[in-house]
Amino acid sequence: MEKICCIDNGACNIKIGNITDEKPLVIPNCIMKAKSEKRRPFIGNQIDECRDISGIFYILGFTKGYITNWEVQKNIYDYIFSTEFPVNFSDTKLIITEPLFNFPIIQEAMIEIFFEEYDCISLTKTTAPDLCQYQYTNTQDPDEPPLCCVVIDVGYSFSHIVPFVKGKKVLSAIRRIDIGGKLLTNHLKEVISYRFLNVMDESFVINQMKEDSCFVSQDFNADMAMAKKKYPENKTIREYVLPDCTTIRRGYLQTPGTAKKGDDYQVIRLNNERFTVPELLFHPSDLGINQMGIAEATVDAINACPEETRPHLYANIIVMGGSSKFPGIRNRLQKDIRSMAPEIFTVSVSIPDDDPLTYAWYGSQFLANDPEFDNLSISRQDYEENGVRGVLNENDAQ
Amino acid sequence: MATRESGRIRDVEKKRVLDDLTRRRRARKALEALEQDNFHEDPHADLVMSKKIPKFNNSLDNPRKKGRKSRGADYYRIKYRKTFQQLLEEDRQLNADGPNYSTAQAPETNYPQRHFCAVCGFPSSYTCVSCGTRFCCLKCQATHQDTRCLKFVS
Repeated sequence: MEKICCIDNGACNIKIGNITDEKPLVIPNCIMKAKSEKRRPFIGNQIDECRDISGIFYILGFTKGYITNWEVQKNIYDYIFSTEFPVNFSDTKLIITEPLFNFPIIQEAMIEIFFEEYDCISLTKTTAPDLCQYQYTNTQDPDEPPLCCVVIDVGYSFSHIVPFVKGKKVLSAIRRIDIGGKLLTNHLKEVISYRFLNVMDESFVINQMKEDSCFVSQDFNADMAMAKKKYPENKTIREYVLPDCTTIRRGYLQTPGTAKKGDDYQVIRLNNERFTVPELLFHPSDLGINQMGIAEATVDAINACPEETRPHLYANIIVMGGSSKFPGIRNRLQKDIRSMAPEIFTVSVSIPDDDPLTYAWYGSQFLANDPEFDNLSISRQDYEENGVRGVLNENDAQ
Repeated sequence: MATRESGRIRDVEKKRVLDDLTRRRRARKALEALEQDNFHEDPHADLVMSKKIPKFNNSLDNPRKKGRKSRGADYYRIKYRKTFQQLLEEDRQLNADGPNYSTAQAPETNYPQRHFCAVCGFPSSYTCVSCGTRFCCLKCQATHQDTRCLKFVS
């Protein structure tokens, strides 16, 4: 029996698994170097073996969300396919995601690598929002599956808003906002380095700090006013205990004043940083980026779709991607889009309960069962007959 | 004979005021910095690998099937070495009018820009005369002038 393996190839994490698996394996898509270990680079989740996580140096294959360094990317693939998730390419069909509007030359490189280096028998290129759409439409009410939906993919390099009408992307209505997890981490890093202590080299730790302590504000002005107050009236203020690489492996959040006598760990006091950082997703202009925020851009994207589809689009908005894990993002989006959308439409924003990061991956099982699946994929025979360019042109024509 | 003059005006005139162009350049640089993967140098950059480590050639003990030869990572690095900027430029030429990376960018917002103090992050109502950075109170202004203002000019 042929197996089908899906690789959701994100810029930050690779989500990989056979479509029959219960859940995918999440592996960091980067090579990291640590100061303490001179001899070895850490590929993917080998970083768990690294004891000293200070000053981690990242090597990524991606630039602005697109694979530009194949040397790095191939090393990571080699590691994953040999150690973390052994794939027998002779009987496994592959589904792999690529960014929206992927450049032709990157597609070429990807096809060449998978057919030449890994001898795979079949490759299907798709995008994470497409998979998300499959997962969403197939897990809603089976009697009345939604005709249209909007996928908001808040990723590591950027965020995309992708409207789907009857399972097809409306290409002209896709909107991209150049804010993602990486920018948020870097911003938090800069803010903390300026206000408290220099952490410019500590992307790894600050990324964890962002994940642990940031949230999306429901009422920005009220939260700002709250943050102005002094503790204990101030309910936002928290202390973040930094990892010391001996007893504390990962930092954590605590309310001020809970430190016991004799505890000698370093803390950073977080106040308005906790919500002004994710706020950038809603107001990129706060940072001087001249773009709409995700709520406004969603409305803009829906307005670019045919008028008769709009009620369906507003009623089926789905948020996914690693940076949509901030608490409160769903309610805020619901509130903001509601306030901008015409009154006659129902607005419903949903977010996967379990994990927005891996949500798209689960959609691969529905893609694999799609009657069109064989047409969408590139078979080994195709590739050998027509070459890289040939398959790409054929693929584009569909 | 010295003429009477205002000390305040003299002080203000001495101050260097950045023009619009420079301010925009600084803002762009700040945004570019936010895209970086690392702020520090590769910790292994000056590492000299010992020559004593034997380099194993694993082609003998790992014969690949069908005689297909691995091209190695170098091959792909050389063949596909375009930078993001080059790719973008190419895409603009090849796919000038279709929906592409450039057209997908979200348009400018319709809401007015909000301003925040560069020092403490709270809403700000004042602008630094020299560089255009925002601040919220005298204390933050002093911090700003001591640490950031015109310190990184040019």
